Amino acid sequence: MSALLRKHNFDSVFDSQKMFRLILEAMANPGRIVRIEEYADKLFGDEPELLAVAVTLLDNGVSFSACESEPLSEEIAALTLAKRERPEAADFVFVRDLKDMNDAIESAKRGSLSDPYTSAVVILKDDKDPVGSLMLSGPGIDRCIEVPVSMAVKNALTLRDAQEYEYPQGIDLFFVSSDGRFLAVPRLTQIEAA
Amino acid sequence: MNKNYNFAFLDEGSKREIRRAALKAVAIPGYQVPFGSRELPIGRGWGTGGIQLTLSLIGPDDMLKVIDQGSDESVNAVNIKKFVGLCTDIETTTDTRKATIIQTRHRIPEIPLTNEQILILQVPIPEPLRVVEAREEVTKKMHAEKDYAPMWLQLYESLVKYKRVTIASEYPCMVEGRYMMNPSPIPKFDNPKLHKAECLYLFGAGREKKIYAVPPYTEVVSLAFDDIPFEKESFTGKICRLCGSADTYLDEVFDAQTGERVYQCSDTSYCQEVRSRAAR
Repeated sequence: MSALLRKHNFDSVFDSQKMFRLILEAMANPGRIVRIEEYADKLFGDEPELLAVAVTLLDNGVSFSACESEPLSEEIAALTLAKRERPEAADFVFVRDLKDMNDAIESAKRGSLSDPYTSAVVILKDDKDPVGSLMLSGPGIDRCIEVPVSMAVKNALTLRDAQEYEYPQGIDLFFVSSDGRFLAVPRLTQIEAA
Repeated sequence: MNKNYNFAFLDEGSKREIRRAALKAVAIPGYQVPFGSRELPIGRGWGTGGIQLTLSLIGPDDMLKVIDQGSDESVNAVNIKKFVGLCTDIETTTDTRKATIIQTRHRIPEIPLTNEQILILQVPIPEPLRVVEAREEVTKKMHAEKDYAPMWLQLYESLVKYKRVTIASEYPCMVEGRYMMNPSPIPKFDNPKLHKAECLYLFGAGREKKIYAVPPYTEVVSLAFDDIPFEKESFTGKICRLCGSADTYLDEVFDAQTGERVYQCSDTSYCQEVRSRAAR
């Protein structure tokens, strides 16, 4: 963590705790957008939002892939000591360029019926403006929630559903934006027909 | 705060692992996520799973409440509060409404919790199938295949033998129609509070090294047959001797000298609140 202390102002104890609680809130209430910019602003580099998620959840006990982004991969490895892995074997898959999204979602670990916790979390950077909204339902949502989403989010969820995971297998999706919006879509969250 | 320890006692690596397990547990409601349970200055079986979750979640903005069998003042509750206080300086409360994190053993508070609150339950035996199957590798496979027939058979046998289901606490339930879950040793009275609740429930079993969760608005249905509905404890005709409540979970208090039996609210904070309202 020396790189974290030297280069960034992110507090590995208190900022990590606050970031985690925001991520937990987003996971427990899918469709709710939480704001992480206060903590992302304490990290430098091109992708402080992705780094804020990485330093909160990753360490040498897990693996990650940053797809084709070598600078991001180096930054995450230096800050967290997490193992670099191929996207299909990584516990966390960071997608900073949406052109990598299809491969990342299609190849991400889905876990097994007996060990569904071995599945991947896919974290997508999405700065596109909302083009409409989706009705989401599932655990954590009181009946239904309407969420304004970009085309990237729509495409990601459509692609996720096309994998036809047999629950409890599946992947969990995080969407982060440069202005600090954070949205979580766990595997049980479903898109309701309009 | 004792500066010889990290904030919230656990090292940051341990917290991160527990946090990752908690997120997976929320993503797969009712599924028991394994984690590397840490040594604590308290024996396993005394709430170490709940404490590890509390320590991994808690921050300077939180207000903590700890209850044991509904009581804020029992030895277990007081010592856990002192321990967390020593290594965090977090404020504690007995007021259910003021708490952001509530750690509990054997009860869910009478007051409905809000979406801003997290209830952390201490769990001795997380595996609901343990009563019908001793081997972990087999129960794991049963969960994978959603093979819960032996548990249903046990309920049926209970009906045949005793004309009713005799499980008083740890009454199993189905979460989102997929996982059978042990709701921890809460009385059956509290099972309905898990269904479509506003708050997040986290369950920690330190000795068994498992974490599981029920997110808000999740379907939690206690096991029952079509013609034999689930029944919680009935306290018909009994009221709390202190506050007069007739709709709460009551503890029976027996006076050995007079042979008298009286009843009082198990949730001491709620009982106190009712009495304070009446005194105004």
